[in-house]
Amino acid sequence: MAQSAQPAKKSKIKGDGVWDYAFIAVALIVYAMFTAYPVLSAFIISFQEYKPLGSTYIGFDNYAATFKDDLFWRSIKNTIVYTVLTVPVALLLSFLVAIMILPLRKKLQTVFKAVYYLPVVASGVALSLVWLWIFDPMPGGIFNQFIGWFGAHNQNWLGSSATAMFSLVIMAWLSSHGASIIIYLAALLGIDDSYYEAADLDGASFLQKLWHIVIPSLKPTTLFLLVTAIIGSFQVFQNAYLMTGGGPDHATTMVGLLIFDNAFKYFEFGKAAAQSLILALIIALVSLFQFKFLGKDVDY
Amino acid sequence: MMNKGKALSLMLAATLSVSALTACGGNKNDNGASSPAASGSAAASGSASSGAKDTITALLPPVSPTYQDNFDQMEKDFNAKYPNLTLKIEPASWEDMTQKLDTQVNAGSPPDIAFIGSDGISKYVQQGMALDLTDVATPDMTGDYDAVPLEYMKNGNGLYGFPAYMEVHALGGNKQFLEEAGIDWKKVQKDGWTYDEFREAIKKGVVKSGDKTSRYGFVFATAGVASKDYLGIMAKSAGMPAAFTKDLKYAYTSKNYLELLTDLRQMIDDGSMPKELSSVDAGKRWNMFLTGQTMITGKGLATFENSAKKNNAKIDANDGSAVKDSIKVDYIVLPVPTFAGAAPVSSTVVDGYVAFRGKKEPTAEHKANIAKAAYFLSSGKVAATTNNDLFAAHITKSGREAAASMTIDRSADNVAAVETMLSHAAPARPDIPAELGAKAIKIENEVIVPKMQALLAGEIKPQDMYDAVKKAAIDAFGQDGIVQD
Repeated sequence: MAQSAQPAKKSKIKGDGVWDYAFIAVALIVYAMFTAYPVLSAFIISFQEYKPLGSTYIGFDNYAATFKDDLFWRSIKNTIVYTVLTVPVALLLSFLVAIMILPLRKKLQTVFKAVYYLPVVASGVALSLVWLWIFDPMPGGIFNQFIGWFGAHNQNWLGSSATAMFSLVIMAWLSSHGASIIIYLAALLGIDDSYYEAADLDGASFLQKLWHIVIPSLKPTTLFLLVTAIIGSFQVFQNAYLMTGGGPDHATTMVGLLIFDNAFKYFEFGKAAAQSLILALIIALVSLFQFKFLGKDVDY
Repeated sequence: MMNKGKALSLMLAATLSVSALTACGGNKNDNGASSPAASGSAAASGSASSGAKDTITALLPPVSPTYQDNFDQMEKDFNAKYPNLTLKIEPASWEDMTQKLDTQVNAGSPPDIAFIGSDGISKYVQQGMALDLTDVATPDMTGDYDAVPLEYMKNGNGLYGFPAYMEVHALGGNKQFLEEAGIDWKKVQKDGWTYDEFREAIKKGVVKSGDKTSRYGFVFATAGVASKDYLGIMAKSAGMPAAFTKDLKYAYTSKNYLELLTDLRQMIDDGSMPKELSSVDAGKRWNMFLTGQTMITGKGLATFENSAKKNNAKIDANDGSAVKDSIKVDYIVLPVPTFAGAAPVSSTVVDGYVAFRGKKEPTAEHKANIAKAAYFLSSGKVAATTNNDLFAAHITKSGREAAASMTIDRSADNVAAVETMLSHAAPARPDIPAELGAKAIKIENEVIVPKMQALLAGEIKPQDMYDAVKKAAIDAFGQDGIVQD
């Protein structure tokens, strides 16, 4: 045959390369099934009135209803307030704890890392129950006893609009910094000792070393933690769901909780999907803003 | 300009944020989730001939303390009665029952039967997923039930399952405290009480030392969605037995509603109820009742008498598992007071076995088999055992017969009080269209519950809440769709 005389076309995948692609394929398939497909489905459902026995295409009605919904904008406002109050403080606390752990001996470092990471592996529901107990509105509640020592009257922490959001913020401040602490600690250990030695030769103080060496060196880590913390905070759901149910009078209704309610309480999956896509767009814009203004001189 | 790395990072960040929120996404019609329920339905759909083998699946929570222990026996007894049929029970906890069922329903593959409250039927009817058993429920089956609870399982002209029990929402009192306060509880059980009488009674139940209240007159669980129960139960005896009047006008815009809200706030302002009431959940108020921190509690179910007795026995036996700091309590069933001069109407809870369909229309044989299974679970020995466990009244002839040989340690006064309340139970309203019902539920969740929480916390006035509910009602039903008195 004429074709047989030509040299066979060389395959680009050969030898171990086949296995490389096989292993990549596993991750790709899992991603496609459990991430890409649900996202695509959510996009399609956002244009439908979803019914198990047959959905109806309704164009942009779900988006229009969302933009007209006062509760949606209130939930966005609550989420922004929660994010602004929790993320910077949480990052600062993680940074300070990491700085305090850094000079310790390795074994002691490990103990503290384990202690701070423990709440991350604990069940969020169990933690919420403990917090419900702490926020007990009656005079015997732990927080009420604490403020009672300073002569303050007992507070209805989760039942009053004045304190419900603040209670969730306190909960965020005082729990689950484990992952951030470990990432900060790893970054701190990665700073070359020669910087500190040079600073010592110049007679730099602790605060000068912190300001001129540590903080600039940790900027990529801080940016990473800031972006992921803001994404996580915008998606906050569990705390509001378990602690306040969004109340009182929607004072703690976050957008994640609103999406859940629309989907599973009212079966308005189309509206819930539209709201989740709008939320994703907001998160993308916020992330873009962070990269543009905070990530100018960051290499990552 | 951003480099490619940054663009990729942004894209991934956006994707991850969307994917975290897309768990709520449903499936296309042909993408049924694989579950025992789905397989049961699918297998059943294929069985065409009468007497052919069939499997009926049921998703059941722990209806009573010993209910789930009897599942194996129930399956065996059902199979002995219908040798060609298999009852496959999937247990669920109360906590994840609704979520589990809703997920299966929205995936188009629900169980054939699920145990839910009758108030949940309308949303499944609206979705087209509840299965109408009217044409397969035989007269022998329907004739076994008391008429009132059976009506609760209807929506429009359809019968979507069979009731397991009908319990009345009452209040519970501590006999010793009631008598110390000079309250003739036997008369109250028999004749009821008005709001003014109730208000004076709970004032007498308060015990204070200085600024501190060691016992309240009345504590009702109102935290979160429980505030819906509180208002709903009281509204029935305030001239609003349902969210809609008989001519289908939204009732909670009546002037009685405003008076009710004013009264509910007044009891807190009197100091008869704690000012932290909006954060008191069901567990907390029961703890307060058993530890002597309140004279009367709500909502009360008949089974609470059993719980109190069990705790009393633990105290007598010096058992460490008794509620910490609890005292012995004789539980007295009390009716809800009447408001605004209205007649007493008892709030009831009717739960039962509701039938569902999958994406495929079930065959007539499978429908008939579902009816057989739902009837089996809600009548005779199964119902007698479960209802006795719950101290709930029997609502089937076969259940009463089976229960005749069973003994139950229950106060005769409480039994009579429950019977009196059941005699003026709120009637079922299958005439309320599912669409109207869905709108009312949305107003309840988005306006009534949040505003009620704010009212109980003292952040808004009754008039503010009334105005907010009225505005939402006009938006949903129009000026002509609401009560304007």
